[in-house]
Amino acid sequence: MSPLFAASIWGLTQLVPSPLLVTGKEHVGGGLRWQVTPLLYSFGIAARPVRAFFVSPIARHSGSVELHASPEWACCAPADASSWLVRAGLRLYLPLLEHGEQLSWSLGGAYYRAAGGGGASADLGLYTFSGVLGLTVTVSPWLSRRELITALNIRYF
Amino acid sequence: MRGMRFALLAWLLVLPGCGFAWRAMKRNLAAPPERKVAHKIQDPRRPDARLAALWVGHATVLLQLDDRFVLTDPVFSHTLAQVSPRLVEPGFEPENLPPLAAVVVSHMHFDHLSFSSLDRIEPRTAIVLVPPGVRASMPRYDFEIRELAPWTAYEQGGLRITAVPVQHVGGRYGIDAAFETRAFTGYVFEYRGLSVYFGGDAAYAPRAFRAAHARFPNLSLAILPICPNQPREYMSHTHEGPSQALDAFLLLGAARMIPIHFDTYINSDDAPGACPAELRRQMQARGLSAEQVITLGFGEQRVLIEK
Repeated sequence: MSPLFAASIWGLTQLVPSPLLVTGKEHVGGGLRWQVTPLLYSFGIAARPVRAFFVSPIARHSGSVELHASPEWACCAPADASSWLVRAGLRLYLPLLEHGEQLSWSLGGAYYRAAGGGGASADLGLYTFSGVLGLTVTVSPWLSRRELITALNIRYF
Repeated sequence: MRGMRFALLAWLLVLPGCGFAWRAMKRNLAAPPERKVAHKIQDPRRPDARLAALWVGHATVLLQLDDRFVLTDPVFSHTLAQVSPRLVEPGFEPENLPPLAAVVVSHMHFDHLSFSSLDRIEPRTAIVLVPPGVRASMPRYDFEIRELAPWTAYEQGGLRITAVPVQHVGGRYGIDAAFETRAFTGYVFEYRGLSVYFGGDAAYAPRAFRAAHARFPNLSLAILPICPNQPREYMSHTHEGPSQALDAFLLLGAARMIPIHFDTYINSDDAPGACPAELRRQMQARGLSAEQVITLGFGEQRVLIEK
């Protein structure tokens, strides 16, 4: 496998979205979220702690802080707002089992920007299978009709 | 859980694009419960031995060279990547290990580099040797993790460990193999006139074996993988089958061989027992005896050279 081919596969896998369950005060619906890591500092890895974009699972889940950006489409936005928004923030990953490869968790905070304005959100996550699968809950108290979003996190690198 | 394992196996195995992946996946899902090993050795120290080997399973071997102990590719976990169950339990408990002069890791595939296993042996060793590029894919431990490039050596108290080139594939999670092009190796251990070749996991590469023989002409022992063997065409780029392992043994010119890397996990089309059976057929065809090619059972220890 050539590096270019591998990079292409990586690029394609970044296009795979994580499905969302969007829970507002009166509505329940779906959505999709993508995520990218421009920068990560791993304090759990033995060498090369700073990574950008292409982040191996052990670097992330053995203990790290990442700067992330997440474009998202979440349903049920108010009539005067777009369903699209972007989140950018920091997330802390900590290992639970097998240095995080089997099980890890995360705690994050982000600023979101939607057509109607911006605000703060917080998230909590649990990950398994080298971080390929996870469950994250994002709380955005001021994001109307999308206050609570649960994501089945799908991620390869 | 079964569905999740199926999806993950599909993800991990289909990425390399090989058809056998589906068959291996189905067999993994239908794998029987882990077989127990009776009468595990409690104290592996053999005062009567100059050279002794204990096969824990797969590529994990505890070697005694006089008063020094070396452990290869330590994997004591019960599943690989949470998806591939172990067929036979480890034949030795890591808590019974003597102090180790070194631990070597041949590459970072899940069946050779187990983070939880390294946790369990952490108090027993001061150093773990790995191929180039592997440190950046390992978590922090109390022991030193040192990368050895091909033909470079680590030496401590008269024990010399040299990394020797092999043909395999690096990476741990699939596509990282494309970027970790040097992250696999074999090793030769030398101590007080004894020398042992450990092949880890490798394809048949005559040039590499000839080069190792030229550098180490008097090998006391070669530890060589014999599986996965089938499908041969796919495996030939990365793995020796029993026939190629014997060819490698002859090229290395070692006094004796111990086969490893078989019957512990399902990672091929080979049925349990198929690789050692083929090895016996090939030994017969080449006129090699059971004293030259010594197949150990899980947890079995053999004194190869007495004092």
